[in-house]
Amino acid sequence: MAGVQTTAEKWTNRTAIAAVFVALIIMLTPIYWIAATAFKPRNLATTIPPTVVYEPTVAPFVKLFTKRSQLREQPTQEEYDTAPWWEKMVYDGGEKVVRNRKSGEVRSSGYGDRFKNSLIVSVISTILAVGMGTLTAYGFSRFKVAGEDDWLFFILSTRMLPPVVVAIPMFLMYRVVGLNDTHMGLIILYTAFNLSFAVWIMKGFIDEIPREYEEAALVDGYTRIQAFFKVVLPEALTGMAATAVFCFITAWNEYAFALIMTNRNAQTAPPYIPSQVGSGLPDWTVIAAGTFLFLIPVAIFTFLLRNHLLRGMSFGAIRK
Amino acid sequence: MAQIDMRNVQKFFGANQVLKDLDLTIEDGEFVVMLGQSGGGKTTALRAIAGLETVTSGQILIDGVEMQHKKAADRDIAFVFQSFSLYPHMTVRENISFPLRAVRMGAADREKAVTEVAEVLQITEHLDSKPSALSGGDMQRVAIGRALVRRPKALLMDEPLGVLDAKLREQMRAEIKRLHIARGSTSVYVTHDQVEAMSLADRIVILHDGVLQQVGAPEEVYLHPTNAFVAKFVGSPVMNIHEAQFSGVNGHSSVHIGGAETGFHFPEQLINHVRNTGQAVSLGVRPEAVLLSHEQREGYFLAQTSNIEPLGSHDIVDVLVGETVLRARTESGYVAREGQQVFVNIDPAQAHFFDGASGLNLRGAN
Ligand SMILES: Nc1ncnc2c1ncn2[C@@H]1O[C@H](COP(=O)(O)OP(=O)(O)OP(=O)(O)O)[C@@H](O)[C@H]1O
Ligand SMILES: [Mg+2]
Repeated sequence: MAGVQTTAEKWTNRTAIAAVFVALIIMLTPIYWIAATAFKPRNLATTIPPTVVYEPTVAPFVKLFTKRSQLREQPTQEEYDTAPWWEKMVYDGGEKVVRNRKSGEVRSSGYGDRFKNSLIVSVISTILAVGMGTLTAYGFSRFKVAGEDDWLFFILSTRMLPPVVVAIPMFLMYRVVGLNDTHMGLIILYTAFNLSFAVWIMKGFIDEIPREYEEAALVDGYTRIQAFFKVVLPEALTGMAATAVFCFITAWNEYAFALIMTNRNAQTAPPYIPSQVGSGLPDWTVIAAGTFLFLIPVAIFTFLLRNHLLRGMSFGAIRK
Repeated sequence: MAQIDMRNVQKFFGANQVLKDLDLTIEDGEFVVMLGQSGGGKTTALRAIAGLETVTSGQILIDGVEMQHKKAADRDIAFVFQSFSLYPHMTVRENISFPLRAVRMGAADREKAVTEVAEVLQITEHLDSKPSALSGGDMQRVAIGRALVRRPKALLMDEPLGVLDAKLREQMRAEIKRLHIARGSTSVYVTHDQVEAMSLADRIVILHDGVLQQVGAPEEVYLHPTNAFVAKFVGSPVMNIHEAQFSGVNGHSSVHIGGAETGFHFPEQLINHVRNTGQAVSLGVRPEAVLLSHEQREGYFLAQTSNIEPLGSHDIVDVLVGETVLRARTESGYVAREGQQVFVNIDPAQAHFFDGASGLNLRGAN
C-alpha cells in the first residue's frame, strides 16, 4: 500500500494515529493507576494531588498475603530487630503479622488460596467449555440435526439472562445438592455459561473448514473420529485459541455467581478483593496489589495465544 | 485394481432425485470419464462409489462384493477433489503418507512409497514444503500422489483440473494419462470439459439430470450420439440441430431446414425411416459436415454468410439457411468477409436425425 501519499491522506493518517494515542491513554490510565498504587507506601496512596514520584515498596504485597492486626503496643527493639525484612514492613505500617499461637507460623490472608481457586475454576471451565463447544459445533456444522436452528437459538438464549437473575435459584439448588462453595459447582456454572458462546464461535470456525479435508481422510482409511482429531482439530486450533481467551477472561472476571455461590472453600479472587475494602480503614495499596496480581494471568494467557488470536479474531476469514 | 459395478442406483436428496436408475459397469483398469452439465449428478455418482454419500437404493459392487453399506474407509478407493484438499498443517511428505498411516505401515516402507510416488509425479523437491507454498499444478500432483500412494482399488477424480489454467490443464491431462497407462489403475474421472473427456477416456459416460445418456468410446459417442443432448454436448463447436422438413420422392428427396425453399439432397435409404413417422424430426449435422464451396456444385445452393470466427487453425462460419444459421467449419480464410455468398451443402453420411419429442437418434440403415 506504500506509495505516493497526498497531503490530505497524510493528515488523515496523523489524525488517526493521534486518535489511537488518545484512546490508548484513556484505556491504560486505570491500569497504570492500579500498578502505581500497588507499589506505593500507604500514606502516599490517597494524597491529593496524586503522588507521581515515590520510592516503590513491596509492602502492599506482603500485607496482601499475610493476616495482620492493628498494633496495640510498639514491638520491643529486640522483636523488631529479629523480625525478617517483610515483617518489619508490616510493623512500619502500624500493624503486626498474626501468627499461629502454638507453632508460631505466619497466618496467611487467604488471597493466595483465592487466587488458586480462580486459576483452578477458570482453567478447568475453559478447557471444558472449549472442548465440549468444539465437539458440539462440529456436530451442528457437519451433520443434519433436526431443528438445528432452534437448538442453536436455545443454546444462545441461555446467555441472555444476566447471572444475577439466576444466581439465587441456582444457589438454592446448589445447596440442596451440596455444590455450593465447591470448585465443582463453580466449574459447572462457568462451563455452562461459556458453552453457548463457545458453540457459536466454534461453529463459525468449523463451517469454514472445508468438508473435503475430512472426506479425504475418510476415503484414505480413517474413521470419522480419527479424521476429526487429525484433520479438523489442527485446523480449528486458531478458533479454539480465540474462544479459549474469551472463555478464560469471562470465567476469571466473573463476580456475581462467585459472590453468591462461594464463601470460603472455593471463593475466587473477584469477590475477595473488594471484601477487603470493608475491614477497618481501607488500605488501597493492598487492594491495588491484589488487583494488579489478578490482571497478570489474563495478560500472560492472551500473550501466549496472541498469534492465534490475531488470526482468530477475523473469525475464519483468513483461509485462502 | 478392480471392477466397479453400479446396479440400479437411485439417489434422492429430499424430494430431489439426483441419480435415476444408474446402471454402469467400469472394467478393471479402465479409464472412464463422466461428462455432463453442472448439476447432472456426476459428483454425486462419484461420491456414492467412494462411500461419501449413501445411495437411496440399488447396489454398488466392487470386484463383485456389495459395498453400498460399507464405510468409505473400508472400500479401498482413493478420491481426488477439485479443491485438492491438501491438509495445510502438514508438509507434502506428511500429506502423501497420510493414507499409509491409516493402515499403520512402518516408517521405512512409508518413506519408500512416498519417495517412489514423488518421483513419478516429479514433486521430490517439494516434499518438505507446506502445501501453501506450491503452485496449483504441484498441489494437484500432491493430491494425486496422496491418492495413488497406497495403490487403491480405484482412483476417483472429481474435476481434478477444474481450477487450473488452460495450459496447465493440458499438461496435467497428459500426465494423468501417462500415469494411468503406467499404473493401469481403474479410474473414474469427472469433468464437464469434453476435450478432457475425449482425450483421456477409454469410455465416456454422459449423465444428464441424473439419467445416464450414453456410455461408449469417445469416437462412438462423437460419431453416434444416442440423442440430441449427447450430440450437442459432445463436440465443439456444437452440432447444428434444426427442425427438418422433407420433400420430393423417389431418388430426389430433400431435407429442408429453417423454412428454406431449397433443401439438401439425401439418398432415399438414409431418410426412409424418418420421413413418414408423423412426428417432428430434427436434422443434426456437425460443423465439419457442413460443406462450403465458392463454385456451384451438384447439390449445393447459394447462401449468405453472417459471422466468421477465426480460430487460427480453422474458421467457424455462420451460414444463413432460411431463417436459421448453420455453423460450418472451414479452413482459415476460406470465406473472406462476412456477408459473402457461398454455396452450401451437407454430407448426408454424417447427418443425424433426432426425434423431435424424445430427442432420440433415429438410426436407420447406417
Ligand atoms: N448434499 C446435497 N444436498 C442436497 N442436494 C444436493 C446435495 N449434493 C448435490 N445436490 C444436488 O444434486 C444435484 C446434482 O449435484 P452434483 O454435485 O452431483 O452435480 P455435478 O454433476 O457434479 O455438477 P457440477 O458439474 O456442478 O459439479 C444438484 O441439483 C445438486 O443441487
Ligand atoms: Mg460436481
